[in-house]
Amino acid sequence: MIDWAAVTPALILASGAIAALLVTAFHATRTWRWPAIVSTVSLLAASAVAVATGSIDRLTLVLTLVVVLGTFMMVLAAGVMDHEESIPPGELHFLLLSSAAGGCCLVVARDLVTLVVALELLSLPSIALVGLRRSDLGAARAAWTFFLLSAVSTAVTVMGVSIVYGFAGNLAYDQVATALAGSTAPARAVGAAVLLTVVGLLFKAGAVPFHVWIPDTYRGASVPVAGYLSVVSKSAALGALLVVLTTAFGPVRDDWAPVVAVVAAVTMTVGNLGALGQRDAVGMLAWSSIAQAGFILAPLVGLPGTAAVAAAVSYLVVYSLANLVAFTTVAICRRRWGGTTFAHLAGLARRDPGAGLCLAFALLVLAGFPPAVIGLLTKYVVLLPPVDSGYGWLAVVMALNVAFGLVYYLRLLATVLAPPSEEVATPPPSPSPPYTVRFARAAMIAATAALVAASVYPDLLLGVL
Amino acid sequence: MSALVVAVLLPGLAGICLALARAVVSARGAAAAGAAVSVLSLICVVASWSARDGAYAGEVDHPWSTALGLHWHLGVDGISLPLVVMTILLCVLVCWSLAADVTSTTDDHEGAGVVLVALVLVIETASLGVFSALDLVLFFIFFELALIPMWFVIARWGDPGGGRLAATRFLMFTVTGSALMLVGFVVIAVTAGTLQIPTLADLPDPLTGTVPLLGGVAIAVGLAVKTPLWPLHIWLPDAHSKAPTVGSVLLAGVFLKLGTYGLLRVFVSVVPEPAARLAPYLGALAVAGIIASCLACLREHDLKRLIAYSSVGHMGFVVLAISTMSEVGVLAAVFASVAHGLITGLLFFNAGWLKQRYGSATFDALGRGLYTRVPRLAVVLLFAATASLGLPGLAGFWGEMLALRSTYEPSPALDRTLAWTLLTLAALGVVLTTAYFVRVVRRVLQGAATPRDDDIDLTRTEAGISAVLAVAIVLLGVAPGLLTGVIEPAVGAIVQVAP
Repeated sequence: MIDWAAVTPALILASGAIAALLVTAFHATRTWRWPAIVSTVSLLAASAVAVATGSIDRLTLVLTLVVVLGTFMMVLAAGVMDHEESIPPGELHFLLLSSAAGGCCLVVARDLVTLVVALELLSLPSIALVGLRRSDLGAARAAWTFFLLSAVSTAVTVMGVSIVYGFAGNLAYDQVATALAGSTAPARAVGAAVLLTVVGLLFKAGAVPFHVWIPDTYRGASVPVAGYLSVVSKSAALGALLVVLTTAFGPVRDDWAPVVAVVAAVTMTVGNLGALGQRDAVGMLAWSSIAQAGFILAPLVGLPGTAAVAAAVSYLVVYSLANLVAFTTVAICRRRWGGTTFAHLAGLARRDPGAGLCLAFALLVLAGFPPAVIGLLTKYVVLLPPVDSGYGWLAVVMALNVAFGLVYYLRLLATVLAPPSEEVATPPPSPSPPYTVRFARAAMIAATAALVAASVYPDLLLGVL
Repeated sequence: MSALVVAVLLPGLAGICLALARAVVSARGAAAAGAAVSVLSLICVVASWSARDGAYAGEVDHPWSTALGLHWHLGVDGISLPLVVMTILLCVLVCWSLAADVTSTTDDHEGAGVVLVALVLVIETASLGVFSALDLVLFFIFFELALIPMWFVIARWGDPGGGRLAATRFLMFTVTGSALMLVGFVVIAVTAGTLQIPTLADLPDPLTGTVPLLGGVAIAVGLAVKTPLWPLHIWLPDAHSKAPTVGSVLLAGVFLKLGTYGLLRVFVSVVPEPAARLAPYLGALAVAGIIASCLACLREHDLKRLIAYSSVGHMGFVVLAISTMSEVGVLAAVFASVAHGLITGLLFFNAGWLKQRYGSATFDALGRGLYTRVPRLAVVLLFAATASLGLPGLAGFWGEMLALRSTYEPSPALDRTLAWTLLTLAALGVVLTTAYFVRVVRRVLQGAATPRDDDIDLTRTEAGISAVLAVAIVLLGVAPGLLTGVIEPAVGAIVQVAP
């Protein structure tokens, strides 16, 4: 049975992807504008359809919007690369939209085979995206790492799915849940099958121990693509993980919850440790996105019900917005000042107050500190389920990691607000920002405005779920 | 909108405006504006206090996030009002000193002086918010709001050597503590189902059992870092001594009170049963802090570090008073907090002026014989030191006296034998405090003068600031009823009052 309301956004994106590729094929010269217009139209259409039909339920709608609008922002941010001859614009937009179509399928998947197919549709174009820059050895290496690990993790997932099929005799989430609830299979075997099934998703989400590809891949990819991976790809995987764990595997929660708790705790700790030594904004954001994945996983240990999932999703939305802002500003900074290291970002708030203040606010959101109230409130929200369900130790680990994470967010924040360093005080390589930078700035300001609005009226976000 | 909301938010909003307009505002103008805004804020507080008709003056209670049960809930009672007024007073004086301070206005990059004023104003809003918040999460938001501005104040305007390290250590300690406190709040929210402090304080059957106890431990640890309670005080001496004068004054005068006020408002009143079980430990650590800090002060050779350590001792008296969980204890805690804010504020102003003149606040750098070299400055220092050691007739005396009085007759939470042991040791602390301040007087103020070129006596601004604080200290010393009369009616909000 096909639920057209659920798949229409994905279909629109897939058609848009082909159209974006074709317009460049039939265009005489290299054009950045037309594929971008096609992408924009199809992304906006997809989000309009999702809102109009309401998707499957409110949760799925929010996840779909995160995927679609996140991709939209990264399409706008990708415009700042329009001067780079080594990036083919048609392929870039084709791959972005194809992957986003996979993301849309992934969050509406209610069947394990659909899940695997959607996961592949999400992954394969994003691998190509990472290696898209022609004759860039680093990018090729990053793509290769990503590809190998991705293939292995998907293989493990397929194995898990087949074992689950052995227990349940079915692949649809609701029937798997019914079958597992009445199953007499040994708990450990079921637990193992569940964990193998979610390996592919944990890999995409960047949870420890499947995180090793993230720093390399993000640094090898162009900044907007790294942003895409950290927001859209990760959100889709985490969203699917929330859905599959709480619906299909909900009845055997006691078998997987302790493992998820440990994974969440280790993920946030390792991510924070890794971020501590970074002196490059992309590298730092890569590690920090690993740590943030841990915070999104943590509420899943909560008691069954919507509260835990709602907590995770509201955290996910806030994380996505803040990361979009951060990656967009870094992309703009790279275009205008030629790099993404802390030295390039030093004094950004003085050289480019708009970008600097947006980045500062996004960092405060990620760190969870006032005046970014929404960042703090979502941290509070994700602490509730672990405490409520008796995982007090996890709550303490989360609290310590909040404190710990502040160190590196604050370091970048202080860098952004500090006086500019000598080497970039010289005239920037791109003195007059092209009009594409203006689009990226508009996206950045819109996302920041959303975060500010949510800080003033938290119910805008927290009341929805 | 209530006048109280205006009082809380006005300084912060003014700070943001100043920071954005730093290109067109002079540092002096910004400081003057800061002082004016703070005075306005004080007027608003007084207005809402005089118009009070209930337990909390100027109370506002709007749902902020229905999904979380979070309310925009502010109000001041007799416990918070003295601290609110003291905070505003110190901020006015800090702005005054910034307006006259030449070194901070001629900084190497433009607008730095304005930004410093802006940060002070944001810190003021955060502190006022903490003192008037009546919702746990709102309390937490304000509690955290002050930290990052303070990090910037210490890291950018502090000592070039080690200022940033001290700032980061300060931040890490307090953030770790407050993160644990947040876990404690989550525990309370989950078990009690509300975040409103007045409701929690009046629960028909107070929270008991293991889970609230663990929550109480988390809250207590978080606040103990802030207060600071020995042995969690190790961030304090560096942060206070490396900070610029305004930073030291606000850290000692206001920030430490966030911890002690928190212990009263969100620990003793919200989780009375776990608090009673933890009280003996708090009391013992408080007294250990008193003794340890006195011993450290006896060996200290830097005036700013000495004052910082002495703060640990004074906060020890406050925590000791709180741990008795009696009416007198609450009274003593608030009184001693206010007195310490005024006295240590004056001491840190003084040390800052000396450091500005001589480049360092070590005894060697200051030399000897300040009585003859800078007589008026020396007299102010002597006055502040004697106030700090608890001379009768000055504000510090009543704080310590009431704290010891409450330990003599504690609530059942504190075992009588233990309490009297603590009382004896704390009394020893009073003697040691006298000893180290006498040492300062002998080493720095007295002795054969070693004149230097930069022996400049009190400037007009410095004299003004000293006069304001001295008047306040003497006033509270000779008429403590002014303050106790405000506090006493509100004690019931914190502990059960005997009929």
